[in-house]
Amino acid sequence: MGAYGAPTSHRGVNTMLSSKHFFLLPALLTLVAIILFPLLFTIRVSFSSWDVFQSGLDYIGGKNYGRVFADERFWQSLGRLSLLSLISVSLQYTLGFALALAVWKQVRGGRFLRVLFLIPMMTTPVVMSVIWRTVFHESLGPANDILGMFGIGAVPWLSSATGAFISVLIVEIWQWTPFMFLLLLAGLVSLPREPYLAAAIDGAGTWRTFWQVTFPLMAPITIGALIIRLIEASKIMDTVYVLTSGGPGTATETSSYYIYIRGLRDFQIGYSAALSLVYLVIMIVSLTVIAKLLLRLLVGKVG
Amino acid sequence: MLQVDQLTTADPKVSLQDISFQFDAGNIYTILGRTGAGKTELLRALMGLNPLVEGDIQLDGQSIAKRPVKDRSMSLVYQQFINYPHLSVLDNVAFPLRRQGKKKAEAQLLAAKMLTTVGLGDFLQRRPAQLSGGQQQRVALARAMVKKSRILMLDEPLANLDYKLREQLREEFPRLVAGNDDSVILYTTTEPREAMELGNTMIVMTDGRIVASGPPADLFAHPPTKDAASVISDPPISFISGFVRSGALYFGEGQLAPNNGLHLPPDGPVTIALRPDAIEPGGAFNATIGLSEFSGSETIVHLDFDFGRAIMLVEGIETFEAGSRLSVSIQTEHIMLFASDGQNITTRTK
Amino acid sequence: MNKFYHILKTLFLFGWSLFVVFPFLWALTTSFKDANAITSGATYIPWVDYEPSTQGWTSLFTTGSQGINIVGPFIDSAAVTLIASLVSLALGTLAAYGLSRFEYRLGFVKNSDITFFFISQRIMPPIVLAIPFFLMLKELGALDTIFGLVLVYVALLLPIAVWVMTDFFAGIPKELDEMAMTDGCSPIGAFFRVILPNSVPGLVVAGMFCLIFGWNDFFFAFTLTFTETQLLPVSIVSLNSSVTPWWSLSAFALISVAPLACVAVIVERYMSRGTMSGAIR
Repeated sequence: MGAYGAPTSHRGVNTMLSSKHFFLLPALLTLVAIILFPLLFTIRVSFSSWDVFQSGLDYIGGKNYGRVFADERFWQSLGRLSLLSLISVSLQYTLGFALALAVWKQVRGGRFLRVLFLIPMMTTPVVMSVIWRTVFHESLGPANDILGMFGIGAVPWLSSATGAFISVLIVEIWQWTPFMFLLLLAGLVSLPREPYLAAAIDGAGTWRTFWQVTFPLMAPITIGALIIRLIEASKIMDTVYVLTSGGPGTATETSSYYIYIRGLRDFQIGYSAALSLVYLVIMIVSLTVIAKLLLRLLVGKVG
Repeated sequence: MLQVDQLTTADPKVSLQDISFQFDAGNIYTILGRTGAGKTELLRALMGLNPLVEGDIQLDGQSIAKRPVKDRSMSLVYQQFINYPHLSVLDNVAFPLRRQGKKKAEAQLLAAKMLTTVGLGDFLQRRPAQLSGGQQQRVALARAMVKKSRILMLDEPLANLDYKLREQLREEFPRLVAGNDDSVILYTTTEPREAMELGNTMIVMTDGRIVASGPPADLFAHPPTKDAASVISDPPISFISGFVRSGALYFGEGQLAPNNGLHLPPDGPVTIALRPDAIEPGGAFNATIGLSEFSGSETIVHLDFDFGRAIMLVEGIETFEAGSRLSVSIQTEHIMLFASDGQNITTRTK
Repeated sequence: MNKFYHILKTLFLFGWSLFVVFPFLWALTTSFKDANAITSGATYIPWVDYEPSTQGWTSLFTTGSQGINIVGPFIDSAAVTLIASLVSLALGTLAAYGLSRFEYRLGFVKNSDITFFFISQRIMPPIVLAIPFFLMLKELGALDTIFGLVLVYVALLLPIAVWVMTDFFAGIPKELDEMAMTDGCSPIGAFFRVILPNSVPGLVVAGMFCLIFGWNDFFFAFTLTFTETQLLPVSIVSLNSSVTPWWSLSAFALISVAPLACVAVIVERYMSRGTMSGAIR
């Protein structure tokens, strides 16, 4: 230091430096400790044969991964998960957008409706699933009772494959449409006013104004909201666990749930670690691809 | 006394290039330059908000270049009206005093006094957001002055105010900062008139450099370079190229014989600067009238000569029909000559 | 055409409102039923359809073999959620402020990469971390404790806090911090004296998201606790799998979702003001 001849104190530079670390380091270290180390550990475990009979970290090479690729039940759960999340997220988006548009300029009772529409996302998914289970009860629940009033016979909600899938879908839509509603309405509220004036001057009707002004302006929020929801939906497991336990058979078993069964019920630690890592990689890759596609589709159209 | 030596920075927009200057206490320095000339960058470098690549800053002979911002005894008023939104006007002004370790009661008393000086005695308990732009800037000014720091810096403080408030605050400014005899006041602006009116010393900046400095009247009368001349003049000065040959000044089809004490340089090319008052209606030069604008009690007329464009200033409101021809004369006592390297080479006999 | 549109909109809003309140109303009416009322099929209106009873509610506050104690799980849930939210909010706010004001560099890693590292944690499926968390907490002796859960929840909530606050700080002009420094604050002092008091809207939004995701988590509470520490979602699920009657379940469910349902009122206020939009883009 002295060689460069800096006789003045470095106190100023030092306080800037230390305060900069004061802000970032606690959170960064916490996250690294709580997330990164466990993740590295999972990677290590996935190369071991750790299970009920033999715990500990031996090394068996890529055997677990070979098993993953041959595990049909896992790939089926992945297909089911994709179907479930794509259908539920697109319905949530459509309904959420429709609701946001409907209350956007609603003055009378608007506040009440907005609060009401937000409530489901504040409720605990498993707790509400317990209630939904009673709603879908075939002989004692109100779902079939109400359908009966319209002359529709008893639907096997939770005991048939299709019924169970639809039940999960309904609960997911009930729970998470509010999230879409929240993001989209917040977006609508902060839209600029000028493009609407321009559209009004051009004499554009409600329908055309929506497609030519509102929808393009909402593209960034749309992409954000869809991605966030797809990320969350790809983890779905609580609802399924309570509502159907993945059943009947494996009809509603999602990947998370399947990995949970392998890992924490059958205690095949090594194998489930491999499963969960494959699942994580597939999630990251497919969500990235979807995000890129959405960007091209929606922003490309605007720009 | 604030001494700046070879200050050089690497800022994203404009970097300061080797700036050296000595600022004396009790003086108001106005720093004049166009947007992007490096005025704000200079203030921020002094304040310690932008890092230095090279150079030193000394306050009373002591280097402060490495001191944290808070220990530099400087205060800064921003162009945007920023105050602490969560504090009342009184607490805003008391804030720096509290940081100096003064007791709450004492800080509030001094703050209230200062606010009365800037004319906000009735608004002590308001929030800044409840005040007009002009009032908000007065709060900022009071906050900057109350600490009695050695250096008071104002970065285009009036730029975001509307015309009337700007005029009003500019007129009051000397009274507001009176009594800061131990402080150096630095005031940046893009407006030549403001710089000349408020400063004891005017500093002209372009491209991160100081290109001229001195008493405003001297600088206006004799700007050292073409760049400085162009920054100082308002309405804009017009430059046309010409040459000197055998004792006469030629440009386009025109020519001028020197009179009124103007000495011509040796033969060769020159840039001729026409001040707006150098052109008067009636004379040997023909021009096409372009746009004309009214500014207060004067009329500014854009003229198109065969040798280039120039601006004429006429006293009073007169209408000039765009597109028509006008003959004018050029008064040599109001022109300046610049060499090809931009140096002012005008010489006159007094 | 306009009238048709109006009717359609009203019908849609009305229908959706019914759909939203239905499970709550159903739970409410079920919570006042007894065994007779349940087994006679779906009924809705007390006194008309069935004779109401309060045993569903009283059973939640009686201890012993007859009762289901909701007080313990409620306190545990509240403690874990509040502590974890506060810690995440504190750490996340500091980190977000640092990321928005200072330049960090670690080899090729820049500020935006660090921000992305924080936020990207949301993509991590809980199941990937469940096993190492389990083993880690076991190692620490923190399985089945409030401390252990708080630790895990901080990891869960920190990305949310960083995400919301980074966007919030981006909207606060840098000049405000600088002004605080010229007025005699250190960089840390500027944050606490000036930036923090002006960050209340951001803190409220971030805090609410932390509360929501913390209070509503089931998976980690389920895998990392057993008997000593019991959170509401886990207790209701264990009730569900036993022979617990619907009336107690319903009352239990209503009590456990009530606190956050009230939060919706606050969320709405910030959403309508447009405070939230910045956090989304």
